[in-house]
Amino acid sequence: MRLWPSEPFGQTVAILAIAYLLIELGIPYIPPLFGLASAPAPDSVVFQYMLTVLMGVLIWVSDNEERWRAFKRPIQRVLVEEKRKPIRVALLVLVPVLVAFIAFDQARPSLSAPPSFRAIHPAPPGSMTFRDRTIPITGLENPLRHEGRLEAHYEEGKRIYYRNCLVCHGDLLDGQGPYGPAFNPAPLSFQDVGTIQQLTESYVFWRIAKGGAGLPNEGGPWNSAMPAWEEFLTEDEIWTVIIFLYEQADKTPRTWEEVAGSEGGPQ
Amino acid sequence: MSRVTGQIAPGTALVVAVFVAAVPMPLLAQAAEGTVQMPMYGQFPYGGARFAIWIAAQVHLFFAAFVLGVPMFAVVAEAMGIFGQEPKYDKLAKEFTRLLLVSYSATAIWGAILAFGLITLYPGVWSYLAEIFAPSMWAYVGLFFFESFTLYLYYYGWERWSVGGAKLGHWTLGILLNVWGTAVMFIANSWLTYMMSPPADVTPDTSPAMVQFWSAFANATWMPINIHRVIANIVFGGAIVGGYAAYRFLLADNDDERAHYDWMGYVGNLIAIGALIVLPFAGYYLGREIYEFNQQMGITMMGGFMSWLWIIQAFLIGVLFLAGNYYLWVGMGRIPGATRFQPYTKWMLLVLVVGVIVWATPNTMIADRAELSAMGGSHHPFLGVLGVMSAKNTAVNLMILTTFLSFLLYRRANKRPTVTWARTGTQVQAALFVISAVIVLFYGIYGYFVTAIVRIGFSVYQVLAVLFAIIAVSAIDIRMMRRAESYGAIRWGQMPPRSQYALFILMVTFTWLMGLMGFARSGIRQHWHVWEVMRDTSEFAATPPLGYAAQVISICVLIFLGLVALIFWVGGLAEKPIVTPARKDALMGGEHATAAVAGD
Amino acid sequence: MWKTNLKIIGIVMGTLALYTIVANSIPQVASEVPEELTFTDEVSTAELVAAGEELYGGAGGCTTCHGTGTRAPNLLTDHAGEGAIGTRCGDRVPGEVCRVYLYNSLVGPAEFVLEGFPPMVFQARTFSDAQLWALVAYMESQGGEVTVTADDIAASADPGQSTAAAATESPAGAAAVASTTTDVAMLLQEQLCLGCHAIDGAGPPLGPSFDGIGGRLTAPEIRAAILEPNAGAAPGYEAMIGVMPTTYGQAFTAAQLEAVVSFLAGRN
Repeated sequence: MRLWPSEPFGQTVAILAIAYLLIELGIPYIPPLFGLASAPAPDSVVFQYMLTVLMGVLIWVSDNEERWRAFKRPIQRVLVEEKRKPIRVALLVLVPVLVAFIAFDQARPSLSAPPSFRAIHPAPPGSMTFRDRTIPITGLENPLRHEGRLEAHYEEGKRIYYRNCLVCHGDLLDGQGPYGPAFNPAPLSFQDVGTIQQLTESYVFWRIAKGGAGLPNEGGPWNSAMPAWEEFLTEDEIWTVIIFLYEQADKTPRTWEEVAGSEGGPQ
Repeated sequence: MSRVTGQIAPGTALVVAVFVAAVPMPLLAQAAEGTVQMPMYGQFPYGGARFAIWIAAQVHLFFAAFVLGVPMFAVVAEAMGIFGQEPKYDKLAKEFTRLLLVSYSATAIWGAILAFGLITLYPGVWSYLAEIFAPSMWAYVGLFFFESFTLYLYYYGWERWSVGGAKLGHWTLGILLNVWGTAVMFIANSWLTYMMSPPADVTPDTSPAMVQFWSAFANATWMPINIHRVIANIVFGGAIVGGYAAYRFLLADNDDERAHYDWMGYVGNLIAIGALIVLPFAGYYLGREIYEFNQQMGITMMGGFMSWLWIIQAFLIGVLFLAGNYYLWVGMGRIPGATRFQPYTKWMLLVLVVGVIVWATPNTMIADRAELSAMGGSHHPFLGVLGVMSAKNTAVNLMILTTFLSFLLYRRANKRPTVTWARTGTQVQAALFVISAVIVLFYGIYGYFVTAIVRIGFSVYQVLAVLFAIIAVSAIDIRMMRRAESYGAIRWGQMPPRSQYALFILMVTFTWLMGLMGFARSGIRQHWHVWEVMRDTSEFAATPPLGYAAQVISICVLIFLGLVALIFWVGGLAEKPIVTPARKDALMGGEHATAAVAGD
Repeated sequence: MWKTNLKIIGIVMGTLALYTIVANSIPQVASEVPEELTFTDEVSTAELVAAGEELYGGAGGCTTCHGTGTRAPNLLTDHAGEGAIGTRCGDRVPGEVCRVYLYNSLVGPAEFVLEGFPPMVFQARTFSDAQLWALVAYMESQGGEVTVTADDIAASADPGQSTAAAATESPAGAAAVASTTTDVAMLLQEQLCLGCHAIDGAGPPLGPSFDGIGGRLTAPEIRAAILEPNAGAAPGYEAMIGVMPTTYGQAFTAAQLEAVVSFLAGRN
């Protein structure tokens, strides 16, 4: 038996199947072979990718007259030829059953919470109150970077990190601390290119000071266990931790010289 | 200004509307001082005031964009007819103008609906804006009059001034039409950009009479919006013309007509996609100005509650790229000699599909709790790499490059170069494509290892590499294809219907995208009528979620396309019966004007 | 023909439906209107004072200066033996009762700064009238009798009917309106920069002169020095660290700040 079908229709089915396997299984299992972290893609993303692949395949079968006719041939055969009546009847039964099942599956009550829409890095306010003092977030830079010795701040930040943050964010700064797995969503990994590297230090300051409870609505404040550290740490202590985070994760903060976020396009 | 949120019956609103429209300014001031209580908001029985205004404004803008975009390329087409001695372009230009003529009154009607809607439903906002912008409103009316009159002269004078110097004069009328139209749009843009970015010295306490007219008129986002809209109007006009041509193609009953409308659809599509490639730069400029004006507003737009809007936008742009290329590829079927290039389309398609996948990968993913815990947050450990700007810029630049390659192959399909250096030329072109793709990829990957500031600079290099490749390859191609041998003329009209449906999808997608971006522009003001100056205190002050916006946009698009279909159908009625030769002679006798309506 | 028409309608409706469904399939978030401080006509004194206290300690940013005793007079405690603000406010300006004085000094602080103190940086325009009057009520409550009522709020919300406060007709009111200009000359005046820095060879030498500053510092350095004035000092001005208010990041809008920065960077 030939593995690769010669007819466009069979090829279409094969491409869709391969694409589905790549997305569903390839994404979680191939990157680890190269030492990269990965996880299964959420259903919403699988759906989105498959929709794109489907559009692509439909374009491929129909952008050439011959291929389009060849693609339609098996469909027409199943619809009209006498000897294919069993397939026709089977489809006539299967398709409605499938539709019915999807409808049932969608409507079925389930115990899981609805998918959450959560912006991990929602828009910060222009300024915040820190222990009754107003601190502007816009344009603010880490004051300790111009003050005193950086190494000293780093050591101080390290001490504070190990005393307070370690249990969740982990000693590799990867969000895998001893308590980390207990939380859902998990503590953020600072090693990730999508976290502190994309943010200004003032943003990180805001997040540390205000914690999960201080997130705006789109950030899902009910969905984060991050404490509001303004209750426990002083302003300078937070700034030293931030220095530690960036140095230890080997990342550079986003700076204010350029207008933040003006890169355009989807985030 | 009094802030009485009066709940009033529609009848009262109408009375107030007449009052607002009729009273001169001093009386209004008196009203503000408390002798007459002015209501801030009116009520609309179905869907609420915001819904009504939204529909009115969006449908008006659709028509307005169409009647401003079409004259631009009508004039260009006429010039190609005059200076290139190609009568078919002149015919095309006239057909464009006929579409314009029939859409023009719809634009005005919806403009009136919008104005009356504002007067009755948002009298407070209206009188505030009217007090600041009164002089420009009068200028608007005047220019609108000139524009209408120029349009009538331009269209009805087409046959009379069709030769020699008169033709040039007629062409000048077309240019004048564009000047009036653009001026009208610029004036209207100042009103809405003022609502987005009022000058910094205007505060909630500033009485509208004290606002300096010119600083309000030429506000921070005025020019960026002007530029963005001019380009977007061309895109939109091209897309609607493409849809119109597709419709006429599908219903054509002879080969001549099919050939003509096939060609017209191709031109419309080319204009739309060509101008679309420039649009992101104008968008970038606008976005930058918004950030400069107010960071808060910028962050709300890009990263705040509107961030999902850009994923939807990415999806729509993916559809545009795919449908635009599809149209070109199917079109190769009617070009002799195109079969040599057809094996390449599947690889270009692969690039486009992968590009769309990357381009639309969300940074924050929608996931349920089990999926979230598997990913360790709403940020996917592997796909998250595709969710950042480096990946997206790379994807979109490669998609632009691929689209250009499609177009190039389409252009060359029936030509065989005869110049001696043809082989070298093609190799240089191929090298240019490869080099710019490598530059784009290099900076895309390198972008992960540098800071944000440097990374933003990279997107400029990527764009420049692509633009350079496009310009250089085109220049070589134009020289190389001089005196090229032909495999045969393009068989215009021999196009399968599915290609025309792709034009419909393009038209619907462009229209919907315009509605979506309109929501983005207007929505970032959030609960302000005039940003940080006049607060929206109505029951509709909250900015709605995307799903609701999508429904309203779809309704707007349906209304617009329904009306366009009706208008074009009516326009078609006038032309058909008269064309038959038997009646033509009879008509030519006296009714000159009617014959002109006929079109050809 | 109708077959074609129906197909077209199908394609159009299908595309629209797809987009609408996609937009609806993501979880929906609306941008709610932030809660605004609104008082009814029967607002009680206690409500006003409570709201004012929250502002005073929070978003108002008052405690940054008031309470330290060095940057600004104490308001909640005694200043110069005259008692807390509620006791002394009535005697400040002849003919102005306590609440009028306090309101005017919030709206146009430049006119009312006590001798020996640096200029007050407070952006009244970012606060609503209700918020300003709540602040006044809170200050009155500190050792005095609260006289603010809902009428005051209504009156100042409607400039046409100013009765009690007359605030918007005072020169201070006019200053508040103009204080968002991007005209640098005006800004330097308004924000009292020239109270310390010399320009064109004239002015007090409390801070480094603006003349030639563009030659000494780059634009980002100037911006940093305005936003974080105490991070360092120009040679010879080390003793003045802590004097310059750190609130300019709030006092200026982004456009104003950039206007000032580029103006100063150009002076070389």
